Amino acid sequence: MSGATQFHAGVDVETVERIAEERNEPEWLRAKRLEALEALSDLDYPDVIQTPGRTWTNLADLDFEALVEPFDQTEEKDWVADDQATVVPFHEALNDADLEALVKEHFGSVVDPEENRLTALSTALFTTGTVIYVPSNVDAEDVTIRTTMNGTSLFNYTLVVTDQNASVTILERQDTGADADGSEERYYSGIVEVDAGENAYVQYGSLQDFDQSTYNYTLKRGVTDTYATLNWIEGNLGSRLTKTGVSTLLEGESSETKIVGAFFGHEDQHFDLDSKVWHRNEHTTADLVTRGVIDDEARSVYEGVQDVGENAWDTSSYQRENTLMLSDESEADASPKLIINNHDTEASHSATVGQIDQEDLFYMEGRAIPEQAAKNMLVEGFFVPVLEEVEVDELREDLEERIHERLH
Amino acid sequence: MSSEENLQETDTEARFEFKKEQHSAFQSEKGLTEETIRLISEDKDEPDWMLERRLRALKQYKKMPMPTDWPGQPDLSELDVEEIVPYIRPDVETRGGAENWEDLPDEIQDTFEKLGIPEAEREALSGVGAQYESEVVYQNMQERWEEKGVIFCNMDEAVQEHEEIVKEHFMTNCVPASDNKFAALHGAVWSGGSFVYIPEDVTVEMPVQAYFRMNSEGMGQFEHTLIIAEEGSEVHYIEGCSAPKYGTHNLHSGGVEVFVKEDAHVQYSTVQNWSKNTFNLNTKRAIVEENGTMEWISGSMGSKATMLYPSSILKGRGATDNHITIAFAGEGQDIDTGAKVYHNAPDTKSTIESKSIAKDGGRTNYRGLVHIADGAEDSSTSVECDALMFDNESTSDTMPYMEINESKVDVAHEATVGKIGDEDVFYLQSRGLDDDDAKQMIVAGFIEPITEELPIEYAVELNRLIELEMEGSLG
Repeated sequence: MSGATQFHAGVDVETVERIAEERNEPEWLRAKRLEALEALSDLDYPDVIQTPGRTWTNLADLDFEALVEPFDQTEEKDWVADDQATVVPFHEALNDADLEALVKEHFGSVVDPEENRLTALSTALFTTGTVIYVPSNVDAEDVTIRTTMNGTSLFNYTLVVTDQNASVTILERQDTGADADGSEERYYSGIVEVDAGENAYVQYGSLQDFDQSTYNYTLKRGVTDTYATLNWIEGNLGSRLTKTGVSTLLEGESSETKIVGAFFGHEDQHFDLDSKVWHRNEHTTADLVTRGVIDDEARSVYEGVQDVGENAWDTSSYQRENTLMLSDESEADASPKLIINNHDTEASHSATVGQIDQEDLFYMEGRAIPEQAAKNMLVEGFFVPVLEEVEVDELREDLEERIHERLH
Repeated sequence: MSSEENLQETDTEARFEFKKEQHSAFQSEKGLTEETIRLISEDKDEPDWMLERRLRALKQYKKMPMPTDWPGQPDLSELDVEEIVPYIRPDVETRGGAENWEDLPDEIQDTFEKLGIPEAEREALSGVGAQYESEVVYQNMQERWEEKGVIFCNMDEAVQEHEEIVKEHFMTNCVPASDNKFAALHGAVWSGGSFVYIPEDVTVEMPVQAYFRMNSEGMGQFEHTLIIAEEGSEVHYIEGCSAPKYGTHNLHSGGVEVFVKEDAHVQYSTVQNWSKNTFNLNTKRAIVEENGTMEWISGSMGSKATMLYPSSILKGRGATDNHITIAFAGEGQDIDTGAKVYHNAPDTKSTIESKSIAKDGGRTNYRGLVHIADGAEDSSTSVECDALMFDNESTSDTMPYMEINESKVDVAHEATVGKIGDEDVFYLQSRGLDDDDAKQMIVAGFIEPITEELPIEYAVELNRLIELEMEGSLG
């Protein structure tokens, strides 16, 4: 697709130069931003599923002209980490020669800035971010990053690099500031790149809880070295519309990944969630598990792809997706896909959509539990299989609490 | 001799692969022009409304782009519709189909003898239609069905003899020409095919069958099938297809429309064995009224590329759809097939079972859509796809789409992909089977849930075809 980008005239070379200048960025980064800017009009919006007569998520119709304000990117960010891992704001990292070299090596290596129009936009305009580096043999404790959005737009970038035998658990949260104008529409865009070194272990959890006037685009992708494990937790509660992709490229032999998703949509929320895994070497394992609940007029779109390449001998790949519909006005769309090019594979997927089991409800009512309370318990129970996968206590508790709040 | 023994004794490869000299009474130019369409319509002496529909379809065809943006779709770049001869009328005296095989020219009679059609007719069928190139050359049905008002005739004849009912149903609500590019192409150049009408409360006990044979190189076959099953009626329609292999491409683009009225039951079975130079791009659809049942059973064995997604629109309360699909892709084949079901009324049910086998670099894909409309409460759908892969050159994809707009539903989809089990092969070998026999037996077991739904002749046929594929001796 080419032609008009739908961004206002202020998204231009001058703006990008000014963002880079104000942050005293090295030349290579400025060049990358400008390349991304130049590519904008030739790139398409992220892929969305289309079936005869229907487009599952319509990104092209969003009012990007109003949503994208390069100079209204205000936020608060705080970081909690122990001293085992290096956790620094993105632009601080550029002031340290070693870290700058690390960033230069990895920036854009997992997620191509020109993958689509929105990644390019994010690359051109991002003003904030985090670099997390865990050296060899270091077992880092929990790293927590909280980003609170206050302005019209925010473009965020996170890089995680772990060396051999390193391990780290990261929890990133996004929400909207209490002082933000609730009547104004907002746009958040986040890119996360993870490079998990040999035999490293990374768990990356995210909890998105923006207010319901926020449009949210995120792309999180990791690549694994030999024997590495990369586990994602993707929690989505907030936003008006979310388009999010979580993916792992299993490049190293015997590497593994898990993508666990939980979402709860209500009112007119729209969630479009992708989980993808590419098996590119021998003995790799993937497990994709997503559970979600939709209520009111909310709509969920799920796409899961298990792609087994021809060199991926002895692959195991599993996927499950379950959606619970609490309202007749809601809609749940799902498309779990298998792309298998190596026969030495054990792969399966399953997906279900349904309402609360009437027998369960009947049983509980028979135990004198009022209907609404019984329903709430069943919804909370529905999330248990995914919550059990969450190793970060804080994230699990937050999710439980937010689900509980939404039900009451 | 039972037909089963007969089939086993016949050399199946020879049965499909023979070629006959190409003669015809009338043959159109290659490609698609308004003039060609007018000639076809004139040669058939059609009413004006049909010519108008053809010309409208041609316009739509010209306007629509080739489908190229479906994820992972078969490569159609080698298909040049302008090089295809859309219409060949074979040289037979009786237009609309002879009632005796003896009345046909020897070469055509011999063709269908070799395909085993007259034999099957005597043993297991209520009626048979046989199409050679673009025209139905043989059509017969047992008298007892005719007496009950069942109509089974070729589509061209139906346009003349049952004009009103055809005019109402032909490519109007079910498969309009605007549905997709190949439906539009079909609407412009269609020829031959079957018209089946089953009156209220009539059950046609034995299946009726149509067999489609392409003999000429570079031709396109565009038969149209229209089935109307009135309230409480029941019929099983079977189609078989084959062609010898040529160096240039053939195109098969059939159109099938089925109307299943209240409490009616239609089963539509296809065993497709087109030669591996054939593009097989069909549109098949059924509209199912209250408590009606539609069953699609498809075996896709042949063709270079197949894109086929039989669909059911469950329009009436309590309507049911069953899909059973088997695909086998060998060297150079891309079989992209599946199902589409629209649940547009409460209490509707669908089940889709798909089995696919990819071997020697072939590709299979299950592509399916289940849509449950708002208000279709207490509906349920269950989709199961299993794929078996033989080697590392092959590809097996699964791409289901589910659109659920109603909460009081039960939706389940499951899929598995795996290789043929080494342990199973080893077990059978230890019982004295060689490697090939063991694998054949495993494949036969894998597809058994599907073959057991077919009449015995077809089940045997399907197994024979798979055996041949596994030996790598066909095409």
